[in-house]
Amino acid sequence: MRAPLSWLREFVDIDLEPEALAERLTLLGMEVRGIERRGLAWQNVVVGELLSVEKHPNADRLSLTTVTLGAGEPLSIVCGATNIAPGQRVPVALPGAVLPGDRRIERTEKMGVVSNGMLCSGDELELTADGDGILILAPDTPLGVPLAELYGDVIFDIDVKPNRGDALSIVGLAREVAAITGSAVRMPSFEVVESGPDVADRLTVDVIDAALCPRFVGRWVSGVRVGPSPEHVQMRLLAAGVRPISNVVDASNYVMIELGKPIHTFDGSRVERGHLVVRTASSGERLVTLDHVDRALDPDTLLIADDHGPLAIAGVMGGAASEVTDATTDVIIESAIFDPVSIRRTAFHHALRSEASLRFEKGQECRLARLGADRAAALVAAWAGGSVARGRVDTAPDEPGEDRVRFRPARVARILGADLPREAQVDLLARVGIAVASPAGAADAKVDLVIAAGSKPRTVQVPAAATLEAVVPSWRRDLAIEADIIEELARVNGYDRIPSTLPATALPLFRPSPLALRDVVRHSLAGFGLREVVTHALVSPDHLARWSWSAPPAPADGEGRIDGTPITVTNPLSADHAVLRQDLVGGLVDTVVLNRRRGRDDLALFEIGKGYGRVADAPHEWWRLGFALAGAFDPPSWNRPRRAADLGDAKGVLDALCATLGLDGPEYTALATEAALHPGQAVTVLARTADGTVGLSGVVGAIHPAAAAAWDERAEGTILAEISIRGLSGGVPSVPRGVNPSRFPSVERDLAIVVGAGETAGRVEAVIRASAGALLRSVELFDVYAGAPLGRDERSLAFRIVFGTDERTLADDEVEAAVGAISAAIIDAGGRIRS
Amino acid sequence: MDLADIIRDLGALETSTLAAISAAPDTPALDGIDVEVLGKKGALTGILRGIGALAADDRPRVGAVANTVRGAIEAALAARRAELGAAELTERLARERIDVTLPGRPLRRGSLHPSIEAMTQIAEIFEQFGFVVHESPEIEDDLTNFQMLNIPPDHPARDLWDTLYVDIPGHLLRTHTSPGQIRVMQAMKPPIRALLPGRCFRYESVDASHGFEFFQVEGLMVDEGVTLADMKGLLDEFARAMFGDGKKTRFRPGYYPFTEPSVAFDVECLVCGGPGCPACGRSGWMTILGAGMVHPVVLQYGGLDPERYQGFAFGMGPERISMLKHGITDLRLFMENDVRFLEPFR
Ligand SMILES: [Zn+2]
Repeated sequence: MRAPLSWLREFVDIDLEPEALAERLTLLGMEVRGIERRGLAWQNVVVGELLSVEKHPNADRLSLTTVTLGAGEPLSIVCGATNIAPGQRVPVALPGAVLPGDRRIERTEKMGVVSNGMLCSGDELELTADGDGILILAPDTPLGVPLAELYGDVIFDIDVKPNRGDALSIVGLAREVAAITGSAVRMPSFEVVESGPDVADRLTVDVIDAALCPRFVGRWVSGVRVGPSPEHVQMRLLAAGVRPISNVVDASNYVMIELGKPIHTFDGSRVERGHLVVRTASSGERLVTLDHVDRALDPDTLLIADDHGPLAIAGVMGGAASEVTDATTDVIIESAIFDPVSIRRTAFHHALRSEASLRFEKGQECRLARLGADRAAALVAAWAGGSVARGRVDTAPDEPGEDRVRFRPARVARILGADLPREAQVDLLARVGIAVASPAGAADAKVDLVIAAGSKPRTVQVPAAATLEAVVPSWRRDLAIEADIIEELARVNGYDRIPSTLPATALPLFRPSPLALRDVVRHSLAGFGLREVVTHALVSPDHLARWSWSAPPAPADGEGRIDGTPITVTNPLSADHAVLRQDLVGGLVDTVVLNRRRGRDDLALFEIGKGYGRVADAPHEWWRLGFALAGAFDPPSWNRPRRAADLGDAKGVLDALCATLGLDGPEYTALATEAALHPGQAVTVLARTADGTVGLSGVVGAIHPAAAAAWDERAEGTILAEISIRGLSGGVPSVPRGVNPSRFPSVERDLAIVVGAGETAGRVEAVIRASAGALLRSVELFDVYAGAPLGRDERSLAFRIVFGTDERTLADDEVEAAVGAISAAIIDAGGRIRS
Repeated sequence: MDLADIIRDLGALETSTLAAISAAPDTPALDGIDVEVLGKKGALTGILRGIGALAADDRPRVGAVANTVRGAIEAALAARRAELGAAELTERLARERIDVTLPGRPLRRGSLHPSIEAMTQIAEIFEQFGFVVHESPEIEDDLTNFQMLNIPPDHPARDLWDTLYVDIPGHLLRTHTSPGQIRVMQAMKPPIRALLPGRCFRYESVDASHGFEFFQVEGLMVDEGVTLADMKGLLDEFARAMFGDGKKTRFRPGYYPFTEPSVAFDVECLVCGGPGCPACGRSGWMTILGAGMVHPVVLQYGGLDPERYQGFAFGMGPERISMLKHGITDLRLFMENDVRFLEPFR
């Protein structure tokens, strides 16, 4: 809400500097988001009168003018606008002026003629939105006076919270100012000079559904002359951010800003027999609204209609056919109260949320229907002439009395933790117009006190003596329960007056953090050199189709399965973010591509995040770790050649991660069927805890060249992994077991095993482990060799095998027996030992 | 051989050996002399072999001379050894000199994402005050995300949370972590001190300070007698822990349907320190979180009696905290994941 200081001052005295007032308003809950100084940028801009306007001797499109400022020599000024004529008063920017946007005005030469300044458009001054021509001021505007003196103002941009619809008005904000300064609020005049016939002879109103329109007040003004509003009205509306249109329309907008009461005006001649009907739309009805859109009306839409059909969408937008135009002579003023929910739904339905509908949505006090009608009628008559018919049409003239809200002064202090005596509470409430009454009746009587309302109401019985009754002004529809009064007291008192203490209440029981295991994984991976990223959960349908696992690996024990149909956003911001992801690698691939586009080729990224699916109409979420290695894993340098990351690096990361998590060394199984991954460079991974539960499970492999080519060639060669880890969704790290190091030396034997083309290192290692016997401590591949003197398809795999026991030093023959058993098993399996 | 011959031979051996030692060019030459002269089959032993022919009275004399000679030779050997060793070490060190200005072999350095790190840090601070971390679903139902938080359907306050809806009836992407308040209250009994971090979604155009996906951390403390003053004290401590000592803070009225009274919590501008600058909208303050006393309706939906229990809730954006703390000026950077942005957060 834009509130000009000059307008506020009409209703309340203000001595505070604008900054101080802004701070006080903010501390009262009316947050001032900005202070605009209108006119600050008009230094050296004064009012001048055009004496002559002639063609520029050297330029067809320019005019040469002489301008008087009232005193001194007339100035010669070159101007490009076409709307100027002698006798007009205009804003003149003199040399040295600095206009909005830091535009400096100097004495210049334009096409051979000296120009001593510039004539300004309203747009150049940010005074009006009109940039097409010079701003023509009223003929009685004083000459030579700085523009800032005439039109300068301070405008507060105030964030009015949704519960304070009453403060979406200058009068409402003036009440808040009064709460700060302690001064009184002056209300505008609601006096209407009536003449001529009774309004009932001109205007009749039938409200069909009183629940949707609890009150409709109408007035009739005859003989108006539609034209521009007085200049000061236009300026004031502009300052408040409303575009002036005509005196009649401006009057309705003026009342909306001033009182917060949206007013609609109809051309009386366009309403059949002056008979308005407030009803919901029938099926098939249509209305061309003010914005010239032909709209289909659904049966939920509340209408103002006449016998012929719809005239306006109630509270939201008028119809083009009954709009007040230059030809209008009779004006119907509509000042109604509508059901907030109905207005909100209709405004959303037609995507027509206006200043008017915003105010209706928040609910309006009943009294405003009458006040708004009177004020609007008076302003129309004042600005557009005409006579106001006697009386009002009013469908519900009874105005309810004030509401009373019971509260307990002791409870206020108990919630706030502040020592706020009863008398102080009474004084504070008085500052916002809330009177306080003591409950009637016997001292030991019990009364009902509402502590919760709305969809979960609650009333308690309390001793009457412990309560007070707040007499709530009709405009404060937000004050209904005790907690509302507590908040009112807190804000008027000021939060800085509430002490700052540390809680002295009981502590909750210990509960392990669900972040604990995630943090271990994050810190481990960062330690291994990977960089954590956070990518979007909302992705495009394309992305989802490309990056969904064709056969999702089983999850770790206790973790959610990748499951369900994709979940689609029904009102997406864009197609790029319209569905929820089911995987993490897609976002990682996109991050690789983005960084490579920006010249960073070597990337090691990970994300711990969720996938989402819909299982039997219920949402399902699961946690995963994803990582991507692209380009060199070890940073290349002068003493280390660049080497692109491969599956081995990814397995190294997983091996180390398993070690960190206390899982037994992971098993890898070739995976040739995953569409996103290279069929010859992908595996599933599975690691178990000592007790056999699955601690880690997932897929890892090089991106399929075809998948990379189809998505973005920059993704080529990326190693991708998506891993389920037991406890990622909220577990604690496992506890390591202690080890007593053996006092006896271990014995190492190296075996070079030659195998044929189809054999894998993993199978050979499995054969060694299966045949080595109880003395085996570890098996480690340390060399792979192919070439002469081996056969063409042969490879030699060199393993370092370590034997030992905690009980004694091994005898040579024990070791030899174990090696012999291994050799025999290798030969059985089709390999041979190379000596 | 008689005594005199042996004594003379010993003298000659000493003279020649000492000469050879001082002439030895390197440690191997010394080792050779050592073996030749003092070894089991060396010259000294050879001379002393003749001792058997001497009279028993003379033998101790020869022994004494031989020991003197041996001592002199050993001392000379040791001295020359030290001399040569020092030279050889000097020579080795010179030979092994490298260009120490060559760059090191770089380690790969990882980093931790600032959004998650901010959440973690917020959690750590509140854990010190007895808060425990909970999590709640990202795909929420309208009931928990709005209605149980005292935001009925078609309530104007819904404008504060532009919502992304999903194709599961009655469900949406949670617009805030506040529905976690309901879930925690329904699951736990007071005393409750809960912290709820997580991802949230809004129907919001992206700019330097808005995104459609972001994180939030919700806090909830409920028990008998938990006051607004307690909330002030706790949040002041939080600001001190997060931004350091001596930063001014300010509580002012805010508005949330699920708290009453509602407050906004400001910290003095970390850029200008108060006078006002573009970063703080010239106000001198930066809003870091919204909070308030839990609304009685919300307590009831949480299964708690609002006459007996009271407490406060707060919610903050870890990205915003991170931006203030690290001088980041554009929210979009957090989910863009340019590694140059991520690198400093090690
Ligand atoms: Zn600042």
